[in-house]
Amino acid sequence: MSELWEVLTEHLPEFSSGLWVTVRLVAIAFVIAMVVGTLVAAMRIAPNRWLNRAGGIYVETFRNVPLLVLLIIAFSGFPRAGVSVSQWVAGMACLGLYTAAYIAEALRSGVFAVGKGQVEAALSLGLTYPRTMRRIILPQAFRTVIPALGSLIIAMIKNSAIVGGSLVALPDLLKKTREVQADTAQPDEVYFWGAVGFLLMTVTVTLVFRYLESRFSIRR
Amino acid sequence: MSYLFDSGNWEWLWTGNNFKFLLEGFLVNLEIALIGIVISLIFGTLLALMRISKRRVISVPAGIWVDVWRNLPLILIILYLALAVPSSWRQAYADAIPGFFPEALQDELVLGALLGLVLYNSAVLCEIMRSGIQSLDRGQHEAAASLGLTYIQQMRFVILPQGLRRMVPATVSQLITLNKDTTLVSIIAIQEVIGRAGNITSASGFFGGVPAPVLQVYLVVGLLFVIVNLALSRLSRRLEIRERERTGTTIERVKGIEDQVAAETDVITSR
Repeated sequence: MSELWEVLTEHLPEFSSGLWVTVRLVAIAFVIAMVVGTLVAAMRIAPNRWLNRAGGIYVETFRNVPLLVLLIIAFSGFPRAGVSVSQWVAGMACLGLYTAAYIAEALRSGVFAVGKGQVEAALSLGLTYPRTMRRIILPQAFRTVIPALGSLIIAMIKNSAIVGGSLVALPDLLKKTREVQADTAQPDEVYFWGAVGFLLMTVTVTLVFRYLESRFSIRR
Repeated sequence: MSYLFDSGNWEWLWTGNNFKFLLEGFLVNLEIALIGIVISLIFGTLLALMRISKRRVISVPAGIWVDVWRNLPLILIILYLALAVPSSWRQAYADAIPGFFPEALQDELVLGALLGLVLYNSAVLCEIMRSGIQSLDRGQHEAAASLGLTYIQQMRFVILPQGLRRMVPATVSQLITLNKDTTLVSIIAIQEVIGRAGNITSASGFFGGVPAPVLQVYLVVGLLFVIVNLALSRLSRRLEIRERERTGTTIERVKGIEDQVAAETDVITSR
């Protein structure tokens, strides 16, 4: 038991720096995912067949390819084509673009849930289509999809570990856990604390979204 | 762009055994996923039965177990098990696995990978099963009890058959996640599609002396996953819609898994 605490007290700087990297990675990737996801969702519901199709291809591609393959393509494949990609850019962009596909789908279903009647009402009041989207549909859609967004952030925290575990090797919590383990050769203790770090993040997000849901969510 | 479409960079694909070599690696992924989902279903059902037990000494520990494993990154679990599984277990695995299984699965390292996939996925499938059971009408339990069935008989003949049916669509979408997750075992040096793609690209001209660029090789790998997973998501959507029409109920999605969110929205938007 005392060994367990020793590992934590001796290697707290490594664990906390890894945790901080994971938090930043997930936060930035989430912003990317929201922006790209909203755009793709808008494409998929826009009254234009070509935009619909392009959005559909984006979603089906990024949803069905393993994140590890995306990371290898970005970090190892692009440089050979003359586009150099840094660790952070590869990690953030892949995690963000991967999750964007799911966010786009969630938002689209949120828009569907708002109902056609409201669109028609807004248009007949003389609002333009973009304005209808921004003022009437999207605010309600975002509130409907709060539970789905929470779910996707938890998935993102778990997926972010792949960035540190793959050849990108961003010094995140997983990478640091591996380094400390290589240093101390105490897999049980070291991975225990790594796991606690990840659970801290997922449990926090669960609790925050439980509150957000009770406060803002529209149940349908 | 010219780099991407330059025919010289695609020559590897139709040279020698490159493509066949990749495809065989991809089959290993599918096999690991299939074995993983079958074992996980068995343990997931057992865990679900423990979680819905009325005895708190059983349901509370099962609940904590499930919540811990499904909230951890799978890659962390796999990396830990690669270190922590005793070599005597690995040896026992290597001795016990039947010879007709593919060569990649004969590797004793596979034990850690399979254990990790099962620990994680059985926790997820337990939650899917539980919401399937909870979506059943309470009357089912009461009717079965009033017919004089014991608890075990109720479960065996009334609750589980219906619960299992309802979890089929969600299980298929979990299989998509699992399919993608099988690539993670390449990190502990198992020769599946990622490992083989690495082989093709590393030595200049693995087969036939033609260099294979990383970008093109992994685009092909990605395409293989898109084809299989697209088919699976179509299947899951079909099953889901049929199940909803038949029973008129919806089962709640397991939180924190991206493809469960996607399956839910698939059904909502395809109405």
